[in-house]
Amino acid sequence: MIWSIAWRNVWRNKLRSIIMIAAIALGLFAGVFTMAFMQGAVDARIQSATKTELAHLQVHAPDFLANNDIALKIEKANEMVRNIEALDSVVAASERLIAEPFIMAAHGTGGGKLIGVVPQQEKKVTDIWEKIIDGEYLEHESRMPPVVIGEKLAKRLRLKVGTRINVQMIDRSGDLSMKGYRVSGIYRTTNTAYDESTLFVKFDDLKAQLGMEDNTAHEIAVLLDNGNEATAVKPSVEKLAAGYKVQTWKELSPEMSLLTDSMDQYMYVFILIILLALCFGIINTMLMSVLERVKEIGMLMAVGMNKRRIFFMIILESVMLTVTGGALGILLGSAVTKFFETRPINLTMFSEGLESYGFASQIYTSLRGDTLVTIAILVVITGLLSALWPARKALKLNPAEATRAE
Amino acid sequence: MKIIEIKNLKKTYEDNSIPVHAVNGVSLSIEEGEFTAIVGPSGSGKTTLLNIIGGLDDASEGTVTINGVEINRLSSRKLTDFRMNNIGFVFQAYNLIPVFTAKENVEFVMHLQGAKKEHREARATELLKAVGLGEMMDRRPSKLSGGQQQRVAVARALASKPKFVLADEPTANLDSKSTENLLDIMEQLNKEEKITFIFSTHDQRVVNKARRVVTLEDGKIKSDITKS
Repeated sequence: MIWSIAWRNVWRNKLRSIIMIAAIALGLFAGVFTMAFMQGAVDARIQSATKTELAHLQVHAPDFLANNDIALKIEKANEMVRNIEALDSVVAASERLIAEPFIMAAHGTGGGKLIGVVPQQEKKVTDIWEKIIDGEYLEHESRMPPVVIGEKLAKRLRLKVGTRINVQMIDRSGDLSMKGYRVSGIYRTTNTAYDESTLFVKFDDLKAQLGMEDNTAHEIAVLLDNGNEATAVKPSVEKLAAGYKVQTWKELSPEMSLLTDSMDQYMYVFILIILLALCFGIINTMLMSVLERVKEIGMLMAVGMNKRRIFFMIILESVMLTVTGGALGILLGSAVTKFFETRPINLTMFSEGLESYGFASQIYTSLRGDTLVTIAILVVITGLLSALWPARKALKLNPAEATRAE
Repeated sequence: MKIIEIKNLKKTYEDNSIPVHAVNGVSLSIEEGEFTAIVGPSGSGKTTLLNIIGGLDDASEGTVTINGVEINRLSSRKLTDFRMNNIGFVFQAYNLIPVFTAKENVEFVMHLQGAKKEHREARATELLKAVGLGEMMDRRPSKLSGGQQQRVAVARALASKPKFVLADEPTANLDSKSTENLLDIMEQLNKEEKITFIFSTHDQRVVNKARRVVTLEDGKIKSDITKS
């Protein structure tokens, strides 16, 4: 009967309870939706970083990433790629050559990162080929070696498909090497910084320009079934790449790892701020509810309801009020989130700013089940904490005075 | 058989730093089956005395022994349990739980005692019928008249099978007809079920029905008359 009395007490002053429940629901809806939105943005950034830029694992010669020294190469790269691809969790692996050239075009110059890829192999690992907005990828034969560049670089150097660029770099023997490439395609990712600095050419073309030996590479990029398993798969790849350095995408891009880890914390802080604000409203509602029932609480004490039960009843009322609002807010937030999981929220008006930080301008919301469970637990805790003061107030009542209160 | 024994009871509180002796050396015994009215002018200490007998308030001095248990010595928790199992309360303002029906109000004390649902329902029905509310058991207090609410309160007071019922000005908010009706029911319960009733009252109609009248003045017993 305590549960029954508590539930009915919630609805004793319907208007007041409805206002409070609506406030809780609205707050939680905003919290859930914002979390889903931010999670979606982060997921898209990670997806872009792993699927377009980094893959899930990379193998390099030790110190290659620190020095970018083209002499620090992986030997027997072909065999290593085949062996890695034979692992269960691995979808594909791709060998790459990497150089840091000086780029000369008719309307400007610039630096960047030139990546030599085997097109058919690379297509299995990254999706740059799907991001081509003009021209084509590297698969077609042409008289002049093809290069795929980012839209941002194309705009800066005023390059178009078919335009020639000269790429200058130091080759393996230490000599200056210059080679002409023709722009075969222009790509656009959600990361303009990447688009401005990264160029793709065929593996063999870069190999020839650098003068690299056969069966060597600077990098092997590995795509897994599930990016979250990168840490678990890493030891298996390390066994096959003995003497080389294997790194997960989180290790390769610590800022990405920080983004993932810190986003959860920021979001929970955000939810906690919402709940804290709601907490004052709930305390006020519960306090009014207790003060309006002094006579009744006095009677309950008189007829034998002990302090523990009175405390429990008031806590229960607060939790029921909070959970009702919280459940509505979470349900509403989940429903709206579900809707935007398949229909993107269009932020193209802010695309320039977003993409300069690597974020997509069209965001699909994403909400994890464990996030909802955590929010639900926080809601219950809020209900509990909000009732403590009103409950204490009730327990301090003297039944003799309370039963005669006006 | 003596069920309440009060010895040299005093209750003093301070009003603007001035000590007020609400109850000042009251000694009294109540036998089982009595129908007693405690009367006196406002401020004579009736309600304070009733509150102390009911374990709702502490005495400054003296003892209250109920069925052999000196309730002043009980801890707050034990005293609450003692009240639940031994004392029935009827308040001036009925003090029913507004979100419960009449039947649920009567059941609630039995629920606190740990009684099973079937037993609670059966007894609540029986008691509400006894106070003439058999047809109104499912009504909430807001749908009952003052007299009907007070009858529910009497049924609730009896639900826990108490040793006695304390009724603090039970007729103060009732009209004549309701008062008469309520008093008849309580008198009948007293005579047939041997339930002990102790009232504090200003109401002459209650005094007329009572078989013993204890008059208080300035916190002291002025007279204690048992009608023949």
